[in-house]
Amino acid sequence: MPFEANGRARRPENLPGGAPPAEAPELWLDAEYGITRAGSLPDLRVHLSVLERLWQVAMVRKGCIVLLLALIWQVYATLLDNDLMFPAFDAALLALCEAVVRGELLRAVSASLRVLAAAYVIGVVAAGLLTVFALTTRFGSDFLETCTGMFNLLPAIALLPLALLWFGLGYPSIMFVIVHSVIWPMTLNIYSGFTGVSKTLRMVGRNYELSQPAFLFKILIPAALPQILTGLKIGWAFSWRTLIASELVFGVSSGSGGIGWFIYEKKNQLDIASVFAGLITIIIIGLLVENLLFNVLEAKTIRRWGMKSC
Amino acid sequence: MCEASAPDARPFLEVSNLTLQYKTARYLVTATSNIGFHADSFDRLILLGPSGCGKSTILKAVGGYIKPAGGEIRLQGKLVTKPGADRGMVFQEFDQLLPWKTALENIVFAVTSAGRLPRRQAVAEAREWLHKVNLTAFENSYPHELSGGMKQRVAIARCLALRSPVILMDEPFASLDAFSRSAMQEELLSLWEENRRTLIFVTHSIEEALILGTRIILFSSHPGQVRAEFTPVRRDTAQGLRGKEVRERIEHLLFQDRVDYAI
Repeated sequence: MPFEANGRARRPENLPGGAPPAEAPELWLDAEYGITRAGSLPDLRVHLSVLERLWQVAMVRKGCIVLLLALIWQVYATLLDNDLMFPAFDAALLALCEAVVRGELLRAVSASLRVLAAAYVIGVVAAGLLTVFALTTRFGSDFLETCTGMFNLLPAIALLPLALLWFGLGYPSIMFVIVHSVIWPMTLNIYSGFTGVSKTLRMVGRNYELSQPAFLFKILIPAALPQILTGLKIGWAFSWRTLIASELVFGVSSGSGGIGWFIYEKKNQLDIASVFAGLITIIIIGLLVENLLFNVLEAKTIRRWGMKSC
Repeated sequence: MCEASAPDARPFLEVSNLTLQYKTARYLVTATSNIGFHADSFDRLILLGPSGCGKSTILKAVGGYIKPAGGEIRLQGKLVTKPGADRGMVFQEFDQLLPWKTALENIVFAVTSAGRLPRRQAVAEAREWLHKVNLTAFENSYPHELSGGMKQRVAIARCLALRSPVILMDEPFASLDAFSRSAMQEELLSLWEENRRTLIFVTHSIEEALILGTRIILFSSHPGQVRAEFTPVRRDTAQGLRGKEVRERIEHLLFQDRVDYAI
């Protein structure tokens, strides 16, 4: 065999990776050990007590913190004894119940949510279109990055004076600022989600000769779902804040005010307990949407698929 | 065995004068230059070479994912211009399974997307394939619940379910531990025995090449060029090079290349 001689014998020692492999040592089996079966060992798993298990639930622990804060509020307000400046927790709760029973609060909430929903949908659709534009052309992606870079820094509420000038007092102006607050963070997230889809998954999609729309709906959108959901969540948080703020500023004009207008009105009537009731309502709705809607959506999709760790 | 097929003037898969280039921010890099090789039907052709020799790039070009800068690739005489279900591909990366679909649905998706079968038959067939790779118990598991080896088995089942005449595998076992790796190599061979296709398999492991291949193309790097072609002998014949000698010859060839670059 001519090359057998060329093989290892000629390999110089100082070349990278050129060190000759040492002869494998002959191994001697010294001993083998039996292993204990799990069944014959003391219990590897011991049940936690009910109390310990309850404490493992984050909701329970956080609920305790909320109770603690309410208690501090109650004690401080009772000591202060000034219903005009700082009503106690129980007074705020009572005002909340009364406003709900009168139907006043629910009317305000539904008015707010209707505007919000309309503006949110417009913002999401616009963000989707903008993303498609950015994905298909280089000008589009440059345009998107420039615009989000600039407008993301502009608090929506800062546009209110202009909105008032262009659309007058009332809901069109509020819609305008909400759409502005939703569209940029949404677009940024969806776009980065799409561009981040792994090359391998793209190639898999092309392997099956998917059509363009099928590729979008069956590969790109599910693969980008974690970022799309993040965008939807951020968009919701921004729009909800913007809505309340803009209602506070110029809800005055519109007859059927939302929750912001409710707070503003109650402050003018020096019904401060109801002001607190309004604030609590805002928090509750925010928590409901975040925890029920988005968390359930995430649990059913991206967490179940292991695309987002808990 | 399969000598019945009529002798064709053209080889089943023909790669000629293939040059592949890619752009970085500063350079136009030539990954492979003037590569030529061919594969007959039912070959298990191994593209073997060190990292950076462009073997994966060549495979992706055969898959139609990369456009050649020069030369051409013909499958059954037809020019390859884009990806297609006639060339099923298995990748090295574990993330090749769609994470939002279960093991079963991943296979069903492949079969129905490529338009080969309606959904109901596709489900039945996907179950059979999962059975063949011993994953029946995991049909409703999502990819993140499977081990690396299981994911690759699903990917292989998904690819075989496409029933494409050519199967391209890009180091599918490279990220597996040594135990799963040799188990998977045997499994692949027995799957191939049941369902013969033309297999083109990329690897940097000489051992893997010798286990899996009926033919080996050895590449050198920078730029990738064909260095040698091997046909490992069957164990029962006394002619030609035996496994150990092939290995030594390959090591020698690669080592010679290294000397050229050492200075």
